[in-house]
Amino acid sequence: MFEWIAAHPYETIALLLVPAVPLLFFQLLPLLVVLERRGAAFIQDRPGPNRAGIPIPGLGFQLRAFGLIYNLCDFIKLAVKEDFVPRFAASRFYYVVGPFIPLIAGLILPAFIPVFAPIAYASGDGVAWLAGQGIASHSGLLALFAFAGLSAYGLVLGSWAANSKYALLGGLRASAMMISYEVAIGLAAAGMFLICGTFDLARIVAWQGEHVWGIIVQPLGFLLFTAAAFAESNRTPFDVVEGESEIVAGFHTEYGAMRFMLVMSAEYFHMLVAAALISTLFLGGYHLSPIPLPLGPDGAWVALDDRWMREHIGSVTAVLLIALALLALYAARLVERRRRHYVASGASDAARRGREYRFYTGLFLALAGLAGLAAWALWGWSEAPRIIAGTAVWGWKVDLLTAIVQFHILIAKTLCLAWLFVWVRWTLPRFRYDQIMALGWKVLLNAALVNLLLTALLVKLIG
Amino acid sequence: MKARRPDGEVVELMTVNIGPSHPATHGTLRVFAALDGETIAAAVCEMGYLHRGFEKMVEQGTYQMVLPYTDRLNYCSAMMNNIAFCKAVETMFGVELPERCVTLRVILLELSRMIDHLVCNGANLVDLGALTNFWYFFNARERVYKVWEKLCGARLTNTVTRIGGMYRDAYPGFAEDVLDAVQVVEEATHEVLGLIEKNRIFIDRTKDIAVVSAEEAISAGWTGPCLRASGVDRDLRKDEPYYGYETYDFETVIGSAGDTYDRIMVRMYEILESAKIVRQAAMRLRPGPVNTSDPRLSLPSREQVYHDMEALINSFKLIYEGVRPPPGECYDAIEAANGELGFYIVSDGSGRPYRIKVRPPCFTQWAHYGDMLTGSMVADVAASLGSINIIAGELDR
Repeated sequence: MFEWIAAHPYETIALLLVPAVPLLFFQLLPLLVVLERRGAAFIQDRPGPNRAGIPIPGLGFQLRAFGLIYNLCDFIKLAVKEDFVPRFAASRFYYVVGPFIPLIAGLILPAFIPVFAPIAYASGDGVAWLAGQGIASHSGLLALFAFAGLSAYGLVLGSWAANSKYALLGGLRASAMMISYEVAIGLAAAGMFLICGTFDLARIVAWQGEHVWGIIVQPLGFLLFTAAAFAESNRTPFDVVEGESEIVAGFHTEYGAMRFMLVMSAEYFHMLVAAALISTLFLGGYHLSPIPLPLGPDGAWVALDDRWMREHIGSVTAVLLIALALLALYAARLVERRRRHYVASGASDAARRGREYRFYTGLFLALAGLAGLAAWALWGWSEAPRIIAGTAVWGWKVDLLTAIVQFHILIAKTLCLAWLFVWVRWTLPRFRYDQIMALGWKVLLNAALVNLLLTALLVKLIG
Repeated sequence: MKARRPDGEVVELMTVNIGPSHPATHGTLRVFAALDGETIAAAVCEMGYLHRGFEKMVEQGTYQMVLPYTDRLNYCSAMMNNIAFCKAVETMFGVELPERCVTLRVILLELSRMIDHLVCNGANLVDLGALTNFWYFFNARERVYKVWEKLCGARLTNTVTRIGGMYRDAYPGFAEDVLDAVQVVEEATHEVLGLIEKNRIFIDRTKDIAVVSAEEAISAGWTGPCLRASGVDRDLRKDEPYYGYETYDFETVIGSAGDTYDRIMVRMYEILESAKIVRQAAMRLRPGPVNTSDPRLSLPSREQVYHDMEALINSFKLIYEGVRPPPGECYDAIEAANGELGFYIVSDGSGRPYRIKVRPPCFTQWAHYGDMLTGSMVADVAASLGSINIIAGELDR
């Protein structure tokens, strides 16, 4: 087996990507929860979660990590809580299975999203390709929608099994939402299929790199898709399935402990996938620039596609690292200002907290320094490709660095969109259930159809 | 549950208890609804889950002992209850209050009205899913509570007035603090208005929801902002002025449709009108006594008690027997945040009230609530319940 691995490194990587991409996305969940909590606090003029911390004995302060410790506490609390099935449950089996379905269906979704560009490698006499996604499929997006739609089964089954009237109402709403917005979300994306001539997400992203981002050619499609994605992931203003204050907690009214956590993590995971999908379809996926830039020789306009990226990978990475270093410096400045403010407030724990803030400042400064050093080392670096059977094959160093940079570009876009989700949630009121249905069927669907028609005409005319 | 439609068709309805413990029923209220899908075919409202016993409890003590109980009626604006009760007893005595006391009471009344509306609208917006507005309001409300804390030491249940005056005079710098707080509340109100007033989702959720026509509102006995939202120009501050309200320059805010949107907006703009009154009142604040010198009501000073036999006896009698209104009955009301807050007091000439009946503003609103819901949806229960501002504390007495 090891011999096979040694002989087929790229095939091994392709196999490993299947679980690795979903897991890479999954480990962003705690970050997303913090983003939600601190974001809510930021919008609402309040401090937010800033109490829980882990005491660090040697250094004499409590590590609070900007609210990340709360995730740990929540996890411990929910994990050790009594795991019960209500006596009145209509079906024990479906009650138990229900919350797993959305999470498992959700976990498959990131595997369809291209996280880096396909990598060419020499295989025998010719060239083979390592796809930049877990499951490279020509019907990628359709498969993704299919799996996303499965999660509704979990909500409906779980809510029915719980045998509670409020849960049932939530389950009904979930199924109605899923049917209505599944149509709109598919039609909103159809414009991109027409323009790129494919369902394959990898090729849609590649097209955006060679031409322009999807948002430029499909602005209406982007808006419709985003709205429908909000509805699909049950976020405000479309969170009627949960509908706190109306139907208590909707479909998960009767769920507690780890089952509740499953439900919540599925919700956040769907939000993450929705954000990643919007970035992939309309915001250029792992590509850097929305339009071609005059960066070619003699100021010629070149598309910043995958090939350009590999040619200039050292400099591109250096520029991104410098941006990261500047962000880290800004964060250090914020923390330092906060430290001064806190110490000056004369709070009884000012010394302890002051040490903690100093620690963060140091961390950010070290990050900025490291990023700067790496940028200095990488500037201008690249390797020339070998040409095999008319295809450029790059060295593994270039390929690896490119893959890492492209993955992080996608994650950065995804997190920015996740912030949009948070922002909207804490700004807008909630629709009423029938208004959502009216919006879905009468507005979004029609607008998506018109958008599709116009796109089809334009594609036909321009060719 | 099977039910027959007017056209004879039999439909299967699902009954559901919305409350008494439900996120949208602020307090222990119960709406028993029969649902046809998500539409409410019929709803019955029930009260009495709080077991307060206010009206019986207050018969056990002297008139002064009633005061702390009144704090707990509408705990969102405790001072209004204090003042309403004191005013009713003072009317029985027929005493004239010193000018400073009256002006202070006007300031407290209007600030209380403002924070009551902040809580009501803030909670209502939470029910609509717009959580952030709640914090904008509560940050502003906190500023008023800081003033309360400095004024009397308590935040929620103040017991700040006394029969015939105040607990004590305001602290130096009170007027400035009040003006600062008013400024903050106004800013928060404008901020929230900016977020919701032209927000399509908000308008869709509240326009034409739980409509109450002017006739219905009057026949149901509604008062206050909810009545005004239905287009009836009725405000005790204007129609039966007390505490010199006729000398203040402010407008009555009146709605037109009587829907949830109007009720929320009437409260929003009443906050701004109250701010005007507070500003004017703060300008009028002149030094002077805050307690009446009427020996039937006010305790003699320590100086007098130590040197004067009559004053000593009076002090004892006032404390042990209570103030003794002349025998008879009296109904007196003020325009509280939520409507007409009236106290009907029957006195047998002793120091203890023979009977006190409270006319809480939300009682009539709650009585009509079930009819308002018929034909609306489950989500509208949350949207409209907040807008009629049911405070269980004064609903269950």
